[in-house]
Amino acid sequence: MEAGSLDKSLARGAAVVGIGHTDWPGDYQRVRKGEKPHDSYGYAAAAFQQALRDAGLGRDDIDGLIVGPTTAYERMGEILGINPRWGGQGDAVQAILQACMAIHSGMAEVIALVYGNDQRSAKTQYGGPEASGGQNFLSYVYHSPWGLTSQGALYALMVNRYMQLHGMTMADLGRVAVAQRQWASLNPNAIMRKPVSLEDYLASEFIAEPLRLLDYCLINDGGVALIVTTPSRARRLGRPAVHIEGAGRADLNREATSLGPRLLEFYRPAQKLAAQQSYAMAGLGPRDMDALLVYDSFSPHIFFALEGFGYCDIGDAAGFIARTGIGVGGGLPVNTGGGHLSESYMQGWAHQVEAVRQLRGGLGERQVPGCRRVHYVSDVAGKAVSIIYGS
Amino acid sequence: MSSGPRHYSPYDAPMWESIGQRRMTLQQCECGSFRYPPGPACPDCGSLRYAWVPLSGRARLLSWTIFHRQYLPAYPAPTLVVAAQLEEGPIMVANMDVSIAAELALDRPLVMAYADHPDGYVIPVFRLSAPAGAATAAA
Repeated sequence: MEAGSLDKSLARGAAVVGIGHTDWPGDYQRVRKGEKPHDSYGYAAAAFQQALRDAGLGRDDIDGLIVGPTTAYERMGEILGINPRWGGQGDAVQAILQACMAIHSGMAEVIALVYGNDQRSAKTQYGGPEASGGQNFLSYVYHSPWGLTSQGALYALMVNRYMQLHGMTMADLGRVAVAQRQWASLNPNAIMRKPVSLEDYLASEFIAEPLRLLDYCLINDGGVALIVTTPSRARRLGRPAVHIEGAGRADLNREATSLGPRLLEFYRPAQKLAAQQSYAMAGLGPRDMDALLVYDSFSPHIFFALEGFGYCDIGDAAGFIARTGIGVGGGLPVNTGGGHLSESYMQGWAHQVEAVRQLRGGLGERQVPGCRRVHYVSDVAGKAVSIIYGS
Repeated sequence: MSSGPRHYSPYDAPMWESIGQRRMTLQQCECGSFRYPPGPACPDCGSLRYAWVPLSGRARLLSWTIFHRQYLPAYPAPTLVVAAQLEEGPIMVANMDVSIAAELALDRPLVMAYADHPDGYVIPVFRLSAPAGAATAAA
C-alpha cells in the first residue's frame, strides 16, 4: 500500500497510561548468585502489578491481554486472573500494534501488555543447533553444519559487508556501545552502568569479528508490562498519557534463510516502507523526533536504522553519529536508557517503557530536553516496524 | 553411513545426498530460479515443479566473520565463516580455512570444494579461486 493512501484514523487512537518492570539489576545479581527469583510468568506478573498501580487501575478494568512470545497466552491469563474479551500474543512491537488496532476497533478498551523472560536463569540458547527461535527463523539454525550459529554472527556478516562497502572502521562501530553505556550510567534501572571509553571498546574481545563483547546485548531475566487504552479513558484517569501517533510495518521474508535481505539490502526496503507509513500517519518526519530508540540486540542495528528510517543518507551512518552525536547531549539521543547493550535485554519491551518515561519527563540528567516525540524502530529478522510516540 | 546433518524439510535429503557424492545439486525451477534452502515451491513463480541440477561451484564473496569463541563441538575457535553468492543466484553460507582470512575482499571469486565434517558427513566449503592465469600452476 502506498503511504499516501493510508487510513490515518489510527493516529493518536491509543495511549499508554501505565508502565511497570522488574528490578533488572537486582534480578541480574540474584541470578548470577545462582538464585531463581521467578520464572517468565512471575517476572511478567510482578511487572503487571506495577503497571496497574502506575495507571491507577485495577485488574478488573483490564479487558484485553497481550503476552510476549516467551509465555503462553492462556496460562498467563490464568496466572494474572484475567478473563479478557480480546487477546493475543506478540513481540514488543506487534503487541503495541495489536493493542492500537484492538482499541481502534472497539474489541477492547483497556489492554495489558505483559512480558516476562527467565532467559538467563533458564539458560536459553541463542546459538547452537537448538537455538531459540530456530523454528520461526530458519537462518538461526540452518547454517550450523558450517559453524555459523548465533544471531550475533548474522549481524557480524551483515555489518562486515557494510564496513567493507562504506569504509566504516572498528572505532566507528564502537561509538554506539560507548554512547549507550553513557546513557546507562545515568539510568538507575540499567544493569551495566560503568562507563566505557572507545579505547576500552577497542581493547575488548571479539566474539564474531568484527563484533566484540560490548556490541552484544545482555542476557538477563526480567519482566515488563504496559497498559494501553483509549485517549478518552486516558483523560479520565487524570494521569500523564503517552499517545501512539503513528505506526508502520513491512516484512522481508523472501530469501531470509539465505540472508538475502540482510546482506544485499540491509533490510532497507522494509525500513523505508515502515517509516513512510508511520511518518504519513503521524504527519511527521525524522527531523521531528526528539529521541530514537532502536531494537539493539547488536550495535550494528543502530547504523542500519539511522539509514533505513531516514535519519541520514545510505553509507553515512558512521559520519552522522560522529557529527551529530547519539549520546548524552548529542543532536539525536539514541537508546537513552542504555538499550539492550547496557540497560536490560527485554527484547524491545523496555524500549517502550523508556519512550513513555522520556515523554513524561523528569528523568534528571538522562532526560532529553523538551522531549515531545520519541521514535521506536526495530527490524528483527526482517520485520521492520516504526512506532512514533508523542506526549 | 553415519548420521548426516539435521534435515529441516524433506527437500533437504536429496541435496545432502548430492553433497555426500561431492557433486552438490539444488532444485532448479522450470522458470530458471534455483532454490536455497531446498523447498516445495518456487518463490519467484510459485511452481511446484523442479529438477535437481549440479552447481558450477563458482561463487563470489559477500561477507565473512571470524568466530573467536567456540559455539559448536566441531568448530574450535578461530573459525572463518563466509557468505557467498553462487553463480546460480542463491546465497550460501559455508566456511573457509581461517588461515586465508587476510586475503578476503568483497566480490573475491571463490570455488566450491568438499570437506569432511567431524560428525561424519561431507560439507561443501569454499576456497579462494586461483587468480586468472594461475590455473596451470594450481594444477
